[in-house]
Amino acid sequence: MTGQEIIEKTNKVFEESFEIEKERLVPDANIFVDLGLDSLDIVDLIVALQSSFGVKIRNEEKVRDIRTLQDLYQFISSIKNEEGTKNV
Amino acid sequence: MSLKRVVITGIGVVSPFGNGVPALMKGIEEGRSAVRFMEGWDQYNGLQSLVGAPVTMQGEMSIPRQKRRSMGRMSIFAAQAADEALADAGIMLADEDLWRVGCVVGSTMGSAKSINDVFETMLPDKDLSKLNSTMFFQCMSHTATVNVAQYLGLTGTIMAASAACASALHAIGIGYDLIRLGRQDILLCGGAEELHPTVTGSFDILFATSTKFNDNPGKTPRPFDRDRDGLVCGEGSGILVLEEYERAVKRNATIYAEITGFSTTASGIHVSQSNKESMVMCIRQALADSGVKPEEIDYINAHATATLQGDQEEAEAIREIFGALVPVSCLKGNIGHTLGAAGAIELAASLKMMETGMIYPTLNLENVSQDCEGIQHVMHPLKKQVNTVLKNGFAFGGINAALVCKKI
Repeated sequence: MTGQEIIEKTNKVFEESFEIEKERLVPDANIFVDLGLDSLDIVDLIVALQSSFGVKIRNEEKVRDIRTLQDLYQFISSIKNEEGTKNV
Repeated sequence: MSLKRVVITGIGVVSPFGNGVPALMKGIEEGRSAVRFMEGWDQYNGLQSLVGAPVTMQGEMSIPRQKRRSMGRMSIFAAQAADEALADAGIMLADEDLWRVGCVVGSTMGSAKSINDVFETMLPDKDLSKLNSTMFFQCMSHTATVNVAQYLGLTGTIMAASAACASALHAIGIGYDLIRLGRQDILLCGGAEELHPTVTGSFDILFATSTKFNDNPGKTPRPFDRDRDGLVCGEGSGILVLEEYERAVKRNATIYAEITGFSTTASGIHVSQSNKESMVMCIRQALADSGVKPEEIDYINAHATATLQGDQEEAEAIREIFGALVPVSCLKGNIGHTLGAAGAIELAASLKMMETGMIYPTLNLENVSQDCEGIQHVMHPLKKQVNTVLKNGFAFGGINAALVCKKI
């Protein structure tokens, strides 16, 4: 999965699940401050990302460090890369 | 301690006729039925009743997402009805002491669709990981009242009444007491419910639903009629603004009526069957609370769901107290049985009838059943000065509720 595909799929989750306009989905947007997600939304974000990317991330410690969309893209990318490595 | 007086200063509804009191009254005035054949319900094996009175959801996106996310259908209906009721009452919450403003909204249970969705998601693989964060808030029994409170930012008394089809009247009765006792100044009270095949199914398996009119839905339910064959479920919400009288007068509010009496009793005999004796006691106690004699009631808005036994018991109860003195009609023929919302939606319509002096007939009542005779059935629009209304509501669990309102 390319970096661009990860961005597009992630952004789609924000548009569909949280009704956030595409224009606001810039990499340095803070998920809490700029995009307005709260603790309940984070649960839903995890559920939606798990479904969208076919990964299990609920118990990943690194989730707690995510602040911006760029953090999230990188996190997903690392999870997908780890997955790819495991499959080799 | 002297009890305070309680008046109704605003009403709001979402009904199968659409959003708003005007849409409800237009449907009733025109004698229309909102009952439809429910596409897709025939996939449920064993479900015999394939009719319902659905609401076409509209305007829900104007509710902010973080308020809407915890709302199932019924809570959206309740929030919309609450908005209308507050606007009707001319109350701006920003100007109020919100510790003195609360809500009591009832329903049979949480959102039926949401409950169904949770189990459909979770049970096949016994996997909780696909459940989102807000499903529980849609499923919990006090979902409607909590969502109304969160949506409006109310911080006073927030309570839920769960008494199936008597839920809304219970909620109004609780609100009446809270304001009478001086605990709150303003309460949004009523009920909400939603249509779902599993809800109709709960009545269907008890042979309580209408099953003979799947090809002719507008002809059912048929309250008090010779050919009635059971209830038809509907959905929606009714919310009334209850307000302490002196305060309403002080701000020159338009007052629909004063709540002067409420009672609730139980049969203690049978979990599903209606019971005349306990209905009679309930109505008599509501009249006594109100200080009115039976002959002083101008209109009775009956519960009358069109079940064989329920209508008979209610007709007998009314006959025993009122004989044929007082006009009786009900609205289930128009909008089906909105269950936990019924008491509030139907009371709202009754207050509009009080306002206009026009009593609307029981739709689909064409031939009064022999076992429902002896009371004054309204079979055509009736022009009459209505100063006092009795609203009945009865529910599974042997629960009865009756409310008396007086024009002032």
